[in-house]
Amino acid sequence: MDPILVKLALGGMAVLGCIGLFFGIGLALAAHKFAVEVNPKIEEVKEILAGAQ
Amino acid sequence: MRELRRYYLCVGLLLIWGLLLAGCGKEHRFVTKHTFKGTNNIVISFAAPVDESWARDSANYAVYEKSDPDILLKITGVTLSTDKKTVTLTFEDELNQQQHHILLMKEIMSGGRSQGTAIVTAKKLYFGYLLSILLGAMLIQNFVFTKYLGLCVFFGTSQKKSTAIGMGITFTIVMIFSSMMSWFLYQYVLKPFRLDFLQIVVFIGLVSLSVQAVDTILRKVNPLLFKAFGVFLVLVIANCIILAVPLILANNEYNAWESLMLATGAGTGFLIALFLMSSVRERLEIANIPPTYRGLPIAFVVAGLFALAFMGFSGMSIF
Repeated sequence: MDPILVKLALGGMAVLGCIGLFFGIGLALAAHKFAVEVNPKIEEVKEILAGAQ
Repeated sequence: MRELRRYYLCVGLLLIWGLLLAGCGKEHRFVTKHTFKGTNNIVISFAAPVDESWARDSANYAVYEKSDPDILLKITGVTLSTDKKTVTLTFEDELNQQQHHILLMKEIMSGGRSQGTAIVTAKKLYFGYLLSILLGAMLIQNFVFTKYLGLCVFFGTSQKKSTAIGMGITFTIVMIFSSMMSWFLYQYVLKPFRLDFLQIVVFIGLVSLSVQAVDTILRKVNPLLFKAFGVFLVLVIANCIILAVPLILANNEYNAWESLMLATGAGTGFLIALFLMSSVRERLEIANIPPTYRGLPIAFVVAGLFALAFMGFSGMSIF
């Protein structure tokens, strides 16, 4: 195969991987920083309820 | 700690500002101004007096429309002002001033020394051009009524005025946020690495990323607003206008300001469309419609009528 194309494909994978990793870490940090405390009792009560509706 | 955070914010905002200004900076250090004048003249101003022998030779200039680089426009006359700083090019045919014109000047000679070759773009008054992009995306080429994009969300959320406005505003915010981000990524990452064939994949990822980010941040920062946005925030991902705008930006090679204007125009255009449609549909609720037409069918008919009305804007140019 054409080495230029191989280079392009590998470079593309690396670049897109970096972008994905960067934004993924960013989102994870944001989710951690802006975490909203949810009352754990809500989940417990939901578990106990029948849940038909 | 708080001071430090404010400092970071200031630095970040300054960086963004600088980047935006760079988008409309000068193109060549020696060419200070270049504008259209009349119907078939272009005026070029230089920073210092240029040599008369260079300026008078029309072979030193090449001018073409940005979309047709092969067709050079015929120059019939070159006039130099008395202080030798301004050159007026006269063309045989009228210039189409809607198009950007590329001006190529070979080896500008000033005081016997070469100042290098200049390639500059002549376009109409900049703020007028930006405003025409904004109004164009908002009314003349409204994405809903003339391009038929984003119809599923359009029909889904236009039943009540309050939901329509909520959706419109959420959409505009997310639109500006995500299209600026995709403009940056396209210009500074995808293009230098020659990965522009991956633009659709990257743009879809960016749209969902910005929706997720707005969702996470808003949930904590302003729970009231978050509750008001409700389900619309997630619905924005399903809208195709939000994908169409970055693609248009990438195709037309817009700079930062132009991209901002197009994104704002598309967002507010969608808001206008939703508001108009919801006003009509609220009245349709109490109208006596034949049962076969009730609900979606009459909504489609109304949308068609709106599209006809919006056709009245077509072909208009503002500046």
